Amino acid sequence: MIKAWFKSGLPWIWMTAGAVSINLLLVLGLLMLIAVRGLGHFWPADVVEYHYKDRQGQSSVIIGEEVDESLLHKAQAISAGLEVLNGADYLQQYLIKTGNRDILGTDFRWIQDQYIQDKTTPEDLIAVERREWGNFYGRLLAVKQNGQVIAEGAKAWPVAQEQIEKNLQLFDEIDHLQKKEMGSINYNLERLRLKQRALELKNEWDDSKKQAFAKQKLAYEEEYKVIQAELLKLNIANKCCSIVVSEAGGREISIPLNRVIKLTRPNAMSALDKSIEYIKNVIAFISDDPREANTEGGIFPAIFGTVLMVMLMAVLVTPLGVIAAVYLREYAKQGFITRLIRIAVNNLAGVPSIVYGVFGLGFFVYILGGNIDRLFFPEAAPAPVFGTPGLLWASLTLALLTLPVVIVATEEGLSRIPKSIREGSLALGATKAETLWRTVLPMASPAIMTGLILAVARAAGEVAPLMLVGVVKLAPTLPLDGNFPYLHLDRKFMHLGFHIYDVGFQSPNVEAARPLVYATSLLLVVVIIGLNMFAITIRNNLREKYRALEN
Amino acid sequence: MTTEAIKTHAIDISALNRGSKTTNDKFDPCITVQNLNLFYGSKQALHGVNMEMPRKKVTAYIGPSGCGKSTLLRCINRMNDLVDGVTIQGKLLLDGEDIYDKNVNVAALRRRVGMVFQKPNPFPKSIYENVAYGLRIQGVNDRRVLDEIVEKSLRGAALWDEAKDRLNDNALGLSGGQQQRLVIARAIAIEPEVILLDEPASALDPISTLKIEELIDELKEKYTIVIVTHNMQQAARVSDFTAFMYMGELIEFGETSELFTNPAKKQTEDYITGRYG
Amino acid sequence: MDNMIIKQHISRQFNNEMEQIRNKVLAMGGLVEEQVELATKAFMSSDAESAEKVIEQDQLINALEKDIDHECTEIMAKRQPAAFDLRMLIATLKIITDLERIGDEATRIAKMAMRLEGGEFYQDKYFEIEHLLDMVKEMLNGALDSYARTDTEELVAITAQDSKVDREYGSITRQLITQMMEDPRNITRALDVLWTARALERIGDHACNVCEHVIYMVKGKDVRHLSHEELTRTVNETSKIGR
Repeated sequence: MIKAWFKSGLPWIWMTAGAVSINLLLVLGLLMLIAVRGLGHFWPADVVEYHYKDRQGQSSVIIGEEVDESLLHKAQAISAGLEVLNGADYLQQYLIKTGNRDILGTDFRWIQDQYIQDKTTPEDLIAVERREWGNFYGRLLAVKQNGQVIAEGAKAWPVAQEQIEKNLQLFDEIDHLQKKEMGSINYNLERLRLKQRALELKNEWDDSKKQAFAKQKLAYEEEYKVIQAELLKLNIANKCCSIVVSEAGGREISIPLNRVIKLTRPNAMSALDKSIEYIKNVIAFISDDPREANTEGGIFPAIFGTVLMVMLMAVLVTPLGVIAAVYLREYAKQGFITRLIRIAVNNLAGVPSIVYGVFGLGFFVYILGGNIDRLFFPEAAPAPVFGTPGLLWASLTLALLTLPVVIVATEEGLSRIPKSIREGSLALGATKAETLWRTVLPMASPAIMTGLILAVARAAGEVAPLMLVGVVKLAPTLPLDGNFPYLHLDRKFMHLGFHIYDVGFQSPNVEAARPLVYATSLLLVVVIIGLNMFAITIRNNLREKYRALEN
Repeated sequence: MTTEAIKTHAIDISALNRGSKTTNDKFDPCITVQNLNLFYGSKQALHGVNMEMPRKKVTAYIGPSGCGKSTLLRCINRMNDLVDGVTIQGKLLLDGEDIYDKNVNVAALRRRVGMVFQKPNPFPKSIYENVAYGLRIQGVNDRRVLDEIVEKSLRGAALWDEAKDRLNDNALGLSGGQQQRLVIARAIAIEPEVILLDEPASALDPISTLKIEELIDELKEKYTIVIVTHNMQQAARVSDFTAFMYMGELIEFGETSELFTNPAKKQTEDYITGRYG
Repeated sequence: MDNMIIKQHISRQFNNEMEQIRNKVLAMGGLVEEQVELATKAFMSSDAESAEKVIEQDQLINALEKDIDHECTEIMAKRQPAAFDLRMLIATLKIITDLERIGDEATRIAKMAMRLEGGEFYQDKYFEIEHLLDMVKEMLNGALDSYARTDTEELVAITAQDSKVDREYGSITRQLITQMMEDPRNITRALDVLWTARALERIGDHACNVCEHVIYMVKGKDVRHLSHEELTRTVNETSKIGR
């Protein structure tokens, strides 16, 4: 019976299908875990007010979001120095995000279920998202302008919202002036200085140039002053308002509105309101700059840096890989040497990525970059331009890392082009180069794209080498901006992978950062999938177009 | 033609009396092979081949597989150069010039000697671009000139009526027979003197085969054609002259009508009648 | 070129088909020979019974002709024969036409014999006809033999014999005219004899045609409508080419 069953081949089918299912489950499970943990963070959770009576019998009020819970066994709890009341077998604990770091010192605190006297979610509880010190939870008492109370009690809420709206606009203006306008002037001044230095080094610095430069500098400084004045004005306007709030303990605190990003009453929100808030939060996460040592705010620079770096890598690796593959497959005499090169290329794919990082740092950054600086940017010395980790070197290092994949895939593609197509082209009087360029390479383009897809998948997820050759925790500017030459290959940049590492392990506030780690991971996966889908779409189109004579 | 002639009673009696119609034409050799030896490495594939292929006639090579007929064909446009380890001795003259001379530009030679392969091999481009390929290689990009030549070539290959409404469609969407005619159009677009056909119908169905044969008959008005075929009946149908090759040697070369009814060599007779060789 | 030529195809089926055609042609030839002899003998001995048998057997010859015709067509359609095979089939098609004509002539002689039955018996008058018969029989036999052996050696001699047959026929004609002038009562009988001689002469011509077809089959040369000298030269010329 069993024997017959084995003979029928069914077990084999079950085994293979089982393996596939397990793989599928693993992938789905991974994505689910990241998605649930990461995406849940953006849901505006209820703010709960606990009346708490602790071990010493002291009563207190705790306001905060419940973020986690745990069930400790009696013995475990006792050995941890906790007492267990009423002879219960288990100790129920909650992790509460109490916020108010400026007052309490920490954001989070564990409380035991057994001490909770009362647990309510009053609608008047507010959550304030601040530019520093994390969230604030409490009650809104009044709104002040220039020290005068302008709204109190129930009226305070709409007025506060209105003022926040205004303040956010002002903040945007200030931000724009600071980052774009002043940044641009500073950049230009720096360029002017470098130009002057360069001329000095070349001994071409004379009076006429001095005058011209001084004039230009003056013009910039004038411009700068105008902006500064405007900034001052805006800053004063920005600082005029504040809100008065009371924290859980009942203390009244004044929070200046220019430090506030968002003021919400989560308990008063309907499900629809919460959904809208949720989407807003997600969008803010994707499009904002990080705050507070990356533990708050968005991760836009990291996304931007990752995508830009990967694209630059693709631009660098494709021609290099394709040209190498074309030579190996089409021109080189097939023999011992080419076989050796192929083995070397294949082995290159197995080298640990950190080794590439070391190579990139040693060769690209110090040798290449150092020489470039010496030859082309002597005026910037001792500050390095290319002689320091940066976007270009990171892209080049990753290009080197993914080169074997592209070479192997391209070679594979070239070898699959039927001989008859080449002969057909040659028979029409085309030279070998013309045949390659006009027929063979376009037909091999789907394979090249496949190589690129694999390269992108690998490069986007790579972190270790990047830490050596250009990724930083926080980059002050994006590598792409409105200042000539627009793409700044020498700048350092942020990267999602490194961001995860940084937020997860280097953060001062691990509890606060944990959901962000998941959210960022999810985003990294989405970005990689997005890049791959983009490449796959292109490849499929090409494949359709060059559907070779396979039939 | 023939039925027309009978209708008008315009049969040329003197031609009938002459017997075979080709013998009285002046023999005008286009391609001359002189004592050609070819080696793949140390293996000799062609043994001292001598023959003269007449201009604007169809010459067919027949013979069993591996007899060297394709190799000989590929010598005419130097396709064998692509194979590693080939050495060629002897001469191959095209209009009196040795094509294996050191100064010969191979690409230019291949423009003079077009080739069509066993399997239809259109490029994965539009029908139009396939035909224009050879011209674009030569740097012709004027749309008007291209349009004209593409139409002329497609008409020449009897494909115009089928393809004129879908010139921008991918050539791979055509049927096998159409693809093969497209490849012929592509070859005649660059106006070669000679067209080499390497088993052009072996991958096609019988009707497509007939169309190709019909086309070959039309093409010989303008081009010297050399065809390799496994199908003896096809050689008998389309060619004016037939060469029988065996084990790298040219056994017999002569007029097709003679070779197929009354071959001079026993080996030829055995091959064409399907006897033990 | 040996006798085995038609048995050397890679396709055994083809061998069998060609072999069968050859055998049928030879059978038909044998039958025709027999018919000619039987008819002439019947004429000479006014043997109505034999004559009737000849007329009956002619149907068999006609049937064989159709049968061989059909088989040749079939082979051509199926196997696209070339070279010797093609020539053999073409020659066979023509040979059986000639053989069928010979059969018809034999029937004609047989009909004459039936008419003569019961008349006077002139033993001496058929001496020359008998001689003519022998010559014609020899030609026919030689032609078929050459066909069977795919050999042209005897054929030149056979075609040469045709002129002898013509001369013999001429002398018989003159003799009969003399007889008719001597005695007008002889005219009816003399005409019968004349017709028979005429039929035998035609049979000789057909045998000669068969020879020419066999030469085409074996040598690939069309020797029809050539003088005997030209024919001899062509046959010898081609046989010089070593195969």
